[in-house]
Amino acid sequence: MSSDIILFIVVGTALAFDFTNGFHDTANVVATSISTGAARPQVAIGMASLLNFAGAFISISVAATVANDVVNADVITPTIVFAGLIGAIAWNLITWSFGLPSSSSHALIGGVVGSAVAAVGFDAVIAEGLVGKVLLPAVIAPVLAFGVAGLSIALVYRVVGKQRPGTVTRGFKYGQVASGGLLALAHGTNDAQKTMGIITLALIANGSLGADADPPFWVIASSAAAIALGTYSGGWRIIKTTGTRIIKMDAAQGFSSQGAGSAVILASTHFGFPLSTTHVINGGIMGAGAAKRVSAVRWGVAGNIVTAWLLTLPAAAAIGALAYGLTRIFGTGALGPVLVTLASLSLIVAVFARRAERGAPVPASSG
Amino acid sequence: MTATIVEGRELLETVVASAVAGVGVTFVFSIAIWGVARFADLSRSERPLAAGAAALVAGLALLATVAAVVVGILAMTSK
Repeated sequence: MSSDIILFIVVGTALAFDFTNGFHDTANVVATSISTGAARPQVAIGMASLLNFAGAFISISVAATVANDVVNADVITPTIVFAGLIGAIAWNLITWSFGLPSSSSHALIGGVVGSAVAAVGFDAVIAEGLVGKVLLPAVIAPVLAFGVAGLSIALVYRVVGKQRPGTVTRGFKYGQVASGGLLALAHGTNDAQKTMGIITLALIANGSLGADADPPFWVIASSAAAIALGTYSGGWRIIKTTGTRIIKMDAAQGFSSQGAGSAVILASTHFGFPLSTTHVINGGIMGAGAAKRVSAVRWGVAGNIVTAWLLTLPAAAAIGALAYGLTRIFGTGALGPVLVTLASLSLIVAVFARRAERGAPVPASSG
Repeated sequence: MTATIVEGRELLETVVASAVAGVGVTFVFSIAIWGVARFADLSRSERPLAAGAAALVAGLALLATVAAVVVGILAMTSK
């Protein structure tokens, strides 16, 4: 009974995390299309929401990585997963509150690794999986997106540079409807799977699923719905902040950056690499911008992303470990998770109230 | 050790696939845009044969773009 209550809390927390992931990432997915005028905000957000939902059903490779290749499922308990989720959510809230662009994906993995180490020790971590499937792709993917977008836009300018700008811009705006959709699909498939993986890990830890089991359909469907709803909800606020947040670029740059982001995310998803989609999308945008004019890129933003990237895994791990310690003060039953959940909800309300006093926040942490 | 080698190979394949797909699709689509732009210009210059050829290039490039995207998505879901 106690373990079922903990499992219920874990599933609810994971889906809430998935919702906030979509909520934060709306800007990343639709910003380029809105910025270049390729799609109206309502259309871009509605399409992104639907394709996020569809994308979640495409693959389960990333979910398998999160469930089986980062921590040793044999020694994991639902309480460890719960504490990891609390670590991720807390770090997301902290970075969101201070306007730091961090990655929900790295926070999630860092949180679970931290709570697993606190509970079991370093034996709980599958070092090869963590390095090979998470850390290396985390470094390579944004740089790759930067390079692919830069090379793409250089080729585009060479091919269409002497043609009438009106026709070229119109053509790439049509192209952006497709590339924006593909990016939303890619985002949905990589990011929703992290939640699927975490819920699957909790189900395995609880004995509800066998080791190495795939996510059940209800897990896939609920994760897809949560991220799609989050994307849709986040969008309406983004419309108001669009003008200040988005880098100005032409339609060809938008197409190149979205194409690069989609290609990197989809290829990585195929091999089960859980990426920070935010870092990849921003890498593509910066690459497309830098290829035209180096000074067009907001290098300060790039620096903040690198700083947040370096901090996220250890910080989320530390909070995850702390959350596990707090939970265990109340024993191994459901009381600890229930109390920590209530404390976390109070913290969330406090953070939102504080931000509301200071004005509408700009989304900062994302997938 | 074996796992590291496998993941290294998968990472390399990811890099190659992303570069080929990302650059390739954008390049082919830009050919389609070039074709459309040339078609418009040549039609205005009343050169129907050349305009037709440009339209054919645009059409083929657009088809290649769509095919590449579809194949890419199918390849991703094939695992």
